[in-house]
Amino acid sequence: MAGLPLARRIAAGPLWLVPLAAGILLILVPYFNLEYSIVRQLQLAMILSLLVSGLNLSLGFAGELALGQVAMYAAGAYTAGMLSQRGHTDIVLQLVAAGVAALLVGILTGIPGLRLGSWSLAMTSFFLVLLLPDVLAIFREDTGGRNGLTGILSPTLFGRMLTPEDYFMVIAIVTVAWFAVMRNIAVSRHGTALRVLKQSPVLAASMGINVFRMKLMAYALGAVPAGLAGALFASLDLYISPEAFSFTVATTILAASVLGGSASVYGAVFGAFILQFGLNQSTEFQRYSLVVTGAFLIIGGVLLTGGLSGLARSLWKRAVGEEPAAAADKDAARPDEVPAVPGKVLKVEGVAKSFGGNQALKGVDLVASPGKVTALIGPNGSGKTTLLNMICGFYRTDAGVIALDDRQLQRMGPDRVARTGVARTFQTPNIPEGITVREAVMAGRYAGHRATVLEAVLRLPRYRKVRRADLAEADRVLDLVGIRHLEDAEATALPLGQRRLLEVARCLISNPGVLLLDETASGLDEDEVERLAEVIRRVRDAGGTVVLVEHNFQLVLSLADEIVALAHGELMAKGTPEEIQNNERVMSEYLGIDPDAPAAPHVVLADVIDGAQEGVER
Amino acid sequence: MTLIWGGLSLGAIYAIVAIGYNIVFISSKTFNFAHAQLTMVGAFVAYTGLVKWHLPTVLVLVIAAAAVALVAAIEERIAIRPVGDMHNILVTTLGASILLDGIAQLTWGSQPLSVPFFAGDKAISLFGGRVYPVEIFLIAIAVLLVVGLGFYSRRSLTGLALLGMAEDREAALLRGVNVRRLAFMAFVAAGALAGFVGLFVGSKTFAVSTLGAALALKGFVVLAIGGFGSMPGTLVGGTLVGLAEAFASRYLGGEYANLAVFLILVTILMLRPAGLFVRTKERVV
Repeated sequence: MAGLPLARRIAAGPLWLVPLAAGILLILVPYFNLEYSIVRQLQLAMILSLLVSGLNLSLGFAGELALGQVAMYAAGAYTAGMLSQRGHTDIVLQLVAAGVAALLVGILTGIPGLRLGSWSLAMTSFFLVLLLPDVLAIFREDTGGRNGLTGILSPTLFGRMLTPEDYFMVIAIVTVAWFAVMRNIAVSRHGTALRVLKQSPVLAASMGINVFRMKLMAYALGAVPAGLAGALFASLDLYISPEAFSFTVATTILAASVLGGSASVYGAVFGAFILQFGLNQSTEFQRYSLVVTGAFLIIGGVLLTGGLSGLARSLWKRAVGEEPAAAADKDAARPDEVPAVPGKVLKVEGVAKSFGGNQALKGVDLVASPGKVTALIGPNGSGKTTLLNMICGFYRTDAGVIALDDRQLQRMGPDRVARTGVARTFQTPNIPEGITVREAVMAGRYAGHRATVLEAVLRLPRYRKVRRADLAEADRVLDLVGIRHLEDAEATALPLGQRRLLEVARCLISNPGVLLLDETASGLDEDEVERLAEVIRRVRDAGGTVVLVEHNFQLVLSLADEIVALAHGELMAKGTPEEIQNNERVMSEYLGIDPDAPAAPHVVLADVIDGAQEGVER
Repeated sequence: MTLIWGGLSLGAIYAIVAIGYNIVFISSKTFNFAHAQLTMVGAFVAYTGLVKWHLPTVLVLVIAAAAVALVAAIEERIAIRPVGDMHNILVTTLGASILLDGIAQLTWGSQPLSVPFFAGDKAISLFGGRVYPVEIFLIAIAVLLVVGLGFYSRRSLTGLALLGMAEDREAALLRGVNVRRLAFMAFVAAGALAGFVGLFVGSKTFAVSTLGAALALKGFVVLAIGGFGSMPGTLVGGTLVGLAEAFASRYLGGEYANLAVFLILVTILMLRPAGLFVRTKERVV
């Protein structure tokens, strides 16, 4: 167990020092007098790791399989090559031009590819690889067609010719720089937002994230390292041909990504180096390369969900030791003063919706005001969830108006509705994997408080300012819901009750005009329900507008200021808890109590409530 | 007209691949990247049976269907069933397709092999164009498959169960449908179909280890045009893609054939992302 303290000590320091040291070592390789073949393999491995890293942004972070890295790689290579042919040999110029060219290919192919779910991007980008030889043949005057592009001149830097050693350093510096960029994106709010997106597009939209734009950003941004890799490759051999950009290369990139762990930053390096050094070495392998790559993808997809880096991470965690389990103290510090939560008026007027021939909602009205809890109740199939989804913009209304203060919502998409100020929780808490409680909560501010990717990469002042505010706000809302002591715990590892509180916190951090809670008490034990009720009261007292869709009748009675009861898509009753409790129709249709029955009503009521609660906890 | 016949028969091949995608998609909502490779294996098996072993055509068709059904069964067991995360199925079935490409290359080499056709290879004149017997057969198979499957899914109990499963997996489960078994059977049936048509496809295109990739893409484009899950859509999509390819390579040059198909794909995705025959469903939370 001697390794344990060392591991702990390293874990305590800034972890990015390790890759940085490895990167510096890599840049200094030309001074080590290595064999030519090893140096060449290293160069190719670095180029491959750039390609893999680009794919990771799309596959690992945004959850979209893309095979088009090769096309962007080729775009970069041919751009740089053609520039060089015409005498523009400066490597910086070539890199910039290649990066821009690849980015354009990424944006142009990403727009159609991302319109239709997951397969279409894979196929569109796959098609791109197949088209490559054709496109090169069509422009054979410029590209050399099948014969390849010759006449590329040696690269220069600021007018100085680069020696092979210099050029190695250029490749290493570009690679290290890209991975620094990638790391900065991954740990920034953009990285968290991408994880949200991968977890669930529905969740992302309900948090105000434009799903299409976010995916496009990840995919197109992944084109940049591919373009850089292309430029580096063109000036390495001073010759490029369509064969260097075949489908086999595309599958090698994918295999390296899966092997290294698509959802990690440095996994790309591991995967690329292993494939370059381990497998591509032997000529014997060439014959079996397809078989091996294929088998690899199957095994990788089935077994190694996190890839090698995932494996390493779990081993690392074991070496460092489990984080001390956060004390589950029930009396965690709670602030006496709750800052204001300025709510807005949610107005639903005459909203109707039918699915095929099924009229789910027939002209429903509802008003939820700031500083009040409005509960929405009704039997299963009465249209509660439909109404909730219409407010959130997931369904289009057939008729009627939904407005938050003066802004009409019914024509907006879900992400715009969320940005306008509607925040919601889910029946089954929807929380991305692999992030801490604090990060999960901070993600709620992603759409409302912007800082561009560039600002995040360069850590510019505006990014730092937003980041500071993110942290401060996260502390505030975590205090408000009373789980601040858990802020460093892994979010998905929390028990159900705390995950519900986490979702509430994630909503509150965006300062929502209205907070929609979807069956938020189902599956919770009495203590947990009580804590949740306490939080809801606190939000209400702070001036928030709360809409509660709930089956737990007791909770509704104790919390709600106003209750709206739906049945068969219509308004059945509306009023204070007392009024609803004494409404015969609600009693018989919703709770199934016969008002004429002789039994004492409150006894029967309690039984029914228990029954209803059980029915919900499935 | 000769050109049209060529285009239509090419489109029929793509439509047949798309039908295979559809069978799997309807039954298990997964996309089997390797389905086109199964057709390719069918073409190779047909070549071996007819040319190497000199077996009668009928027997070869049965062997090819059985062999590819077996390959499909193995694929389902190792590359689909054990996968927990739906995201990964795309990766594992792609892996299966690459694996099959590799195995085909090792077994049959990378040179195109000509698969003889039982009805001869003499072109006949029909409606003012010249057409090969195999082309007529391909078009007929595609149409018959769509009509037959449409009939089967509405009239037979299994077909209805499949449709029910596609609509709501859980509900089908509660109704006593063995969802996993049915999905597996559909997967294997799609494999048998791919094996069966291998002979016809191979007769038109040659059996070659790059066949799978080309068919996979065009089959997907057909699916994107017609809409996922729509059987009649595959015929329309196939016709469109086949004709576009034939005309583009005739009048613009061979290197424009794929480009033309790609442009169709992009246009469809931009204008009607769900395809021509599938209505966009609203998202459910």
